[in-house]
Amino acid sequence: MGTRLTATSNAGGAIGAKDRPGHLTGASDQDVVEWAKRGHEAAFRELVRRYERPVFSLLYRMVRDRGLAEDLAQETFIKVLNGLGSYNPQFRFSSWIFKIANNAAIDQLRKRELDTLSLDGSPHATTPEAMRATALQLGDKRETPLQELEARELGGAIERAIARLRPEYRSCILLRHVEGHSYEEIARILELPLGTVKTYIHRARNELRGYLADRKE
Amino acid sequence: MTPTPDTRHLTPDEVELWAEGLLPAARDAHLAQCDACRATAGGERKLFRDLAQLTRFAPEFGFVERVMAKVKIPTPSGPHFRSHSDS
Repeated sequence: MGTRLTATSNAGGAIGAKDRPGHLTGASDQDVVEWAKRGHEAAFRELVRRYERPVFSLLYRMVRDRGLAEDLAQETFIKVLNGLGSYNPQFRFSSWIFKIANNAAIDQLRKRELDTLSLDGSPHATTPEAMRATALQLGDKRETPLQELEARELGGAIERAIARLRPEYRSCILLRHVEGHSYEEIARILELPLGTVKTYIHRARNELRGYLADRKE
Repeated sequence: MTPTPDTRHLTPDEVELWAEGLLPAARDAHLAQCDACRATAGGERKLFRDLAQLTRFAPEFGFVERVMAKVKIPTPSGPHFRSHSDS
């Protein structure tokens, strides 16, 4: 991290060519973060470019709604980029951003769980009229183009199997086998004991194999 | 004296090591002679491959701009920063 950055303070009063943000593509996340903290807009863009797909994919598979996943991804990046000052470079930047993204997804799923209660009307409604008035209206059943896209993207056997996992199993399996994080990193991201992470991943794999076998039978 | 064959079945951690080509030789020997472990390991490896090949979805076009519109860029620091060199 140090050598790349210290070069900016010499080279005849300008940033050396190899140290310019245009050359951020091959730099480590830590270096890019350091550039961003110094006020280089290109470094912020580089962080978004590196993580937009992984973060969006995790969120999309967690909430299974493109629009919502995009809102959560945007929220995640804004929180991360506006909070770079609190980032601890001892840990991988990816662990930090996935932690914030995963928390956003879990909060959303909890909220949605509460929302599903309102399908039959508010639990606080005291009369049948109030129940009807607060019940969630199920609209036209025809699929919108966005729903069709979601069905195409998330309709495969493995995607449907992942969707059947409990959210905490889903986070673990995606972080381990799609994003390639170590068990220790996942424990840090999810703030869970290492043993719990291992248990979740093993159970999730068993469940996935079971769901995929069911499909074949 | 011939060594006693290792009859312990592979643990889930060992199956993962095997799929990554990192299983110690002694345990590999057990796998070679245990049909149950081979069946489990084969199924796991297929699952790992399926998961590793999942699509990386992209957000809608213009995502970076939408994020950048809400990011506060700190005041550039350092004596030689050039304000327009980034864009």
